[in-house]
Amino acid sequence: MKIANTCGALILLVGMSFAQKEAPLPPDLPPYGPEKPLQAPAVNTTRLDNGLTVWLVSEPGFPKVAFQVAVRGGLAADSPDRPGISELLAKTIDQGTKTRNAKQIAQELQAAGGDLNAATEKDDTEISTSVLSSRIETGVNLLADILQNASFPDAEVTLAKRNLADSLQQQESEPSFLAARAMAKVLFGDHPYHVAAPTPESIAAATPADLRKIYGQRFRPDQCIMVVVGDFEDARMMELVKSKLGAWKAPNESPLEAPDNASATPEHAVYVVPRPGSVQTTLRLGSFGPLRGAPDYEAAEVANAIYGGTFSSRLTSNIREDKGYTYTPFSFLRPYRRAAVLTTGADVRNEVTGPTLNEIMYEMNRLATTSPSEEELTKTKRYLVGSEAINLQARSAVAQELATLWVDNLPPDYIGTYGQKISAATKDDVDSAARKYFPFAHTVVVAVGEENVVRDAMAPFGMAVHTAP
Amino acid sequence: MKKLPNGLTVVVSEDHSAPTFGLCVSYGIGFRLEPEGRTGFAHLFEHMMFEGTPNAPKGVLDRVIEGGGGNNNGDTRYDHTEYIETAPISTLDPVLWIEADRMKTLDFSPKNLENQRNVVEEEVRVNVLNRPYGLFFAIDLPGKAFDTYPNAHNFYGDFKDLDAAKIEDVKAFYEQYYAPNNAVLAVVGDVKPDEVFAKTEKYFASVPSRPTPPRPKVDEPPQNAERRSTQTDKLARVPALAIGYRMPARHTPDALPAAVTGELLHNGQASRLYQALVKDKEVAISVDGGVNWPLGSPFEYNGPTLLTSFIVYPPNVTEDQVLAAYDAAIKDLAEKGPSPQDLERIVAKMRSDWYDQLEIPISRASALSHAVLFDNSFDAVYQIPEDLAKVTPAQVRAFAAKYLIATNRTIINRVPASASQAEKPQGGEL
Repeated sequence: MKIANTCGALILLVGMSFAQKEAPLPPDLPPYGPEKPLQAPAVNTTRLDNGLTVWLVSEPGFPKVAFQVAVRGGLAADSPDRPGISELLAKTIDQGTKTRNAKQIAQELQAAGGDLNAATEKDDTEISTSVLSSRIETGVNLLADILQNASFPDAEVTLAKRNLADSLQQQESEPSFLAARAMAKVLFGDHPYHVAAPTPESIAAATPADLRKIYGQRFRPDQCIMVVVGDFEDARMMELVKSKLGAWKAPNESPLEAPDNASATPEHAVYVVPRPGSVQTTLRLGSFGPLRGAPDYEAAEVANAIYGGTFSSRLTSNIREDKGYTYTPFSFLRPYRRAAVLTTGADVRNEVTGPTLNEIMYEMNRLATTSPSEEELTKTKRYLVGSEAINLQARSAVAQELATLWVDNLPPDYIGTYGQKISAATKDDVDSAARKYFPFAHTVVVAVGEENVVRDAMAPFGMAVHTAP
Repeated sequence: MKKLPNGLTVVVSEDHSAPTFGLCVSYGIGFRLEPEGRTGFAHLFEHMMFEGTPNAPKGVLDRVIEGGGGNNNGDTRYDHTEYIETAPISTLDPVLWIEADRMKTLDFSPKNLENQRNVVEEEVRVNVLNRPYGLFFAIDLPGKAFDTYPNAHNFYGDFKDLDAAKIEDVKAFYEQYYAPNNAVLAVVGDVKPDEVFAKTEKYFASVPSRPTPPRPKVDEPPQNAERRSTQTDKLARVPALAIGYRMPARHTPDALPAAVTGELLHNGQASRLYQALVKDKEVAISVDGGVNWPLGSPFEYNGPTLLTSFIVYPPNVTEDQVLAAYDAAIKDLAEKGPSPQDLERIVAKMRSDWYDQLEIPISRASALSHAVLFDNSFDAVYQIPEDLAKVTPAQVRAFAAKYLIATNRTIINRVPASASQAEKPQGGEL
């Protein structure tokens, strides 16, 4: 009882001090209108006899249809002697099938108004395209061919290896890439999620046979979903999908297992990536958050949005708008299937490296130790609910979100319930999530920049400073 | 579409597929017309539009829009500066109020200017000085290809010019260009046109119109010779080429074939340059580009622009080898033209891409407002798919033969810093 009272007084105080800092709203500013909730897409879900999952969302609009395919197994499933080879697989999967060469695939798809996008994530490999409604047959045909008959021609693999090696070399000069790679290594240690990109050695050693082997293991109907969203008729689409993918058979071997949940607790320290001549320090802070599907996931999203996840967040107001230290501060909660990462980032000019980290530390600990004001809470929840509606305006985005939900073992109606859970998050829920996930002491700090600048700037914080792995 | 008595043009497009809206206010001012000695000013000014007004101090705008579930941004381009918002429909009234409020006056405080000068200089560090290639294909290439200040200057701004900007400059610029009669407001989404027109009357009617300066001529003297140079790059690990051809004016008969040619050469893996340079000859790692690329669509410019190719190539390949393969691809197009199938494919792709842009309310609002700003009509936005279908192989061939010639182009070779005989990039070095 006493504790509850104390908390109440504290909340009131913080609320008042925040309200005093912010300018009052203009008296003649019109109020928000009545809220109009997002109608979750009506998803027609089917599982074919061969195990292929098909989710269809038919809706009128511009004459376009978005396809999104995902198969389980991505960077985290790559063997330790070929880290990141999934990226090479994504670059070559559309470079030939038993009956089509790369140019034919590109041209047929272009004639249908599409491009093929293939990408690999930690947990899955995704293929997507978006075609004119009049050309859905081309879309299904090509995707079905690539899913069942990709051939990884030697010459195409050789070329893709060379170009990927050159891109990797180029990425070596990009501070955000260096930071992301170091962050994954520091946070995940030996867990399969530690790979953020291929190594030059891995790409040099990769063979077409390696790619065909991975393709055989991961591309199977019982580990695959096809999501289609747009201007089409369900029955016609289902008939097309069945005719092109119904005969696809899963191999007898059991599918690959997903990795265990990541539970490493890395040392709270600064990890420096030396970048001689850098005019900026690229600061990234990482820690673990809740998995999507965990009871406090949505509350953690609210906490993150208050802290640094929006333009009017505390962090942006502080280090961009008030102090002008940086153009691009951000924070986000990124859920994977077996871990969720809370990341803060800011690229700052060398002189303000230390001051920026100090403000980030302050804002994280402020969130972890004090309650947000009612106004912050209300506007942030509204923001997150509204963002979902905005992010899902494009049909390709709906298709991608649905495929990601399937990869994470979540139901398609998560799209409808997410907003309700955000709206239902109470101040106590947000306080607990903030206290659990946001203390600065839980973070690892990656700093890419001029080494002596970074080491000098970090000295006052009393944290260990290591060279990044 | 309606015009208010103060000259503000309002366009509305209904789309009830989501309970949201997209809104764009475009002003007829961009990099091209920013004053000499004030490079980067149009963009610096854009930042000042987010710094509050006497009625709604700094912070209110973001608080109201994000608190309403939306987000907002601004973009400065050669011929317009746009302010865009997207949000749940419940936030439409406050957003319209905010746009009207900052069309009346701003908080012209030196402190805000100093703060945004720092933010902009930081933006330049992130996007130019601390990034491989430093946007040289967008900043340095027009700088070499054009001869007059409006088209050639560094639009992100030299630091000495940004440092010299004063609050009086901000006031004068606002007075000159940020008038309702120099602006177009477009709203797209879960709305009824009559309701939006009534709301805009309510919020914008009290914004006074102001005289805006007549548009100066921004034409270029003709180019007579190929222009070539080499630059070094401290951050790039592999070399890159930027090639820019001067383009015909918008609305001339060659403009649409130009747009199609730009895409035929650059759009996706089926494009001619990807196939020739990356696949057949293996002399490039990546190829990007198009007309008015990368700062806008091939349909949205209002002054001299380029067809740009940006080619990243392997270190063991020479500039001459890349150019030989490039020239062969151009020559083939100029001599034979595209086949009807080639043309049909790229037109299908452009149509498809255009629908993707129109699908998103904020992008459709943006396209509508630019069209009205430049042409006083939004018909072109919906007409583009049909117009594209009318382009013939002969037009593309004729366009390529006339414009894609050496004397009409500028080439910059950007090499990792170890190479010699290079000059300092225009984008600047610290």
